[in-house]
Amino acid sequence: MAPLTSPTIASLPDEVVVVDHLTKRFGRVLAVDDLSFRLETGSVTGFLGPNGAGKTTILRMLLGLVRPTSGTALVFGHPYREHSEPARRTGAVLEAADFHPGRSGREHLITLALAAGLPASRADEVLDVVGLTKAAGRGVKTYSLGMRQRLGLAAALLRNPDLLILDEPANGLDPEGVHWLRVFMRDFAAAGGTVLVSSHVLAEAALTVDRVVIIGRGRLMKIAELDELVDESATLERAFLELTPGSTV
Amino acid sequence: MTAQLRSELRKMRSTRTNVGLLLGLVGVILFGVVAGSFGTEAELSLLDDQRELVGNGAFAAAFAALIGVLAMTSESRHGTIRATLVFTPARPLVVFAKVLASALVGIAFGALGAALALGAGVVTIRGHGHDVLLDSGDIGRLLLGTIVMAALWAALGVGVGGVLRNQVLTIVGLFGWVFVIETLLLRHLPDVGRYAPGAAGTAVTGDTVGDSTVDLLAPVTGGVLLAAYALVFVVAGAFVTSRRDIT
Repeated sequence: MAPLTSPTIASLPDEVVVVDHLTKRFGRVLAVDDLSFRLETGSVTGFLGPNGAGKTTILRMLLGLVRPTSGTALVFGHPYREHSEPARRTGAVLEAADFHPGRSGREHLITLALAAGLPASRADEVLDVVGLTKAAGRGVKTYSLGMRQRLGLAAALLRNPDLLILDEPANGLDPEGVHWLRVFMRDFAAAGGTVLVSSHVLAEAALTVDRVVIIGRGRLMKIAELDELVDESATLERAFLELTPGSTV
Repeated sequence: MTAQLRSELRKMRSTRTNVGLLLGLVGVILFGVVAGSFGTEAELSLLDDQRELVGNGAFAAAFAALIGVLAMTSESRHGTIRATLVFTPARPLVVFAKVLASALVGIAFGALGAALALGAGVVTIRGHGHDVLLDSGDIGRLLLGTIVMAALWAALGVGVGGVLRNQVLTIVGLFGWVFVIETLLLRHLPDVGRYAPGAAGTAVTGDTVGDSTVDLLAPVTGGVLLAAYALVFVVAGAFVTSRRDIT
């Protein structure tokens, strides 16, 4: 795989993500309950919690896809939908299945590049970064789950973002892919980028993240540097199970 | 807007869907012209029957509606709506770009459909040994009317797809309305039926509806009315798309 292009960071504010008293109800279901946390630049934050904890809903509120019932979710100081060119600074991978099966990987990226005012050739650059150049002309229906994750990541990189929001990006990756993703996220943060990555795979998170935000039933359970948390509880797994009672993970 | 329009036009040609629709349109028109010429050999000498034969080009409008519906609903169906809206959070802009892109492809379908029906119709009429009675007015009305009708139906398809979101529901709803409910309306309540979108669109080409004897609106009135329907549904589709949670 090709070496990464380092993100270009121009005078970032310290707080990349601000979630303040964020609440979301879907009908009678309280998915996110008065949640607050902040992320600073240049770190990899693991967003951990059992399935159904509200991780995905929170990430979608940050990206302006889901409207909060109350509270605020800001990226770079503003609600995502109020930025004039949000994707320029934020890249996201939400679901591995979000592709038209009959469209090739390259064409998928080109449609997004054009929407962002970028030349179609930018698609080939990010395909190279994620190592999908050979498969680029094939329909996405022929891709493995791991290849779809890479294609999603390529789309997130199109605008050379400063913030990456990744929802379970390691799902379906083989060991080599997991290792590659880890190195990728570390390099991205080392170059000044910020990563918010959700996961329920604790062993992987423990190797990758600087700090963890642990969510349970829509509420904040713990926010801590990984090393403090592990000192207290010996392993991330034990800390996680103590903090999220009833979890089946 | 230009960037989003380029993106939407690229989506139009990066799957086989619209190629399939184009082949379907060619097949339906050729079948319509050939089928329309059988059993009516004597009548093909009459101007009205010649008009009806080349009026098969109007099938382009149904295919244009499908283009619009699919432009909107396939994004929900395949989940690409999430990436689309992360890149372009101004949701009405996305809907309007889809309207423009679908209308442009609809215009191409309309022009091709009308030209094909005209060419195949003329060959068929001559093949049966009759003189072609269509004049330049008939031909102009057929071409222009079919193009306008297809463009407006493409826009209407995007709007209805934006309101209903679900692909199957939108297709069944739209075609069920035009081919079942409007047919019943025209038969039993023609004073209401002629103001419905399908009949308004048919009026644009100056055609009559099949074998019914209903007087349709004047072409320009029909076009304005269909444009009004399209506008209402596009605005409603943009509004609904803006409000809802993309989960």
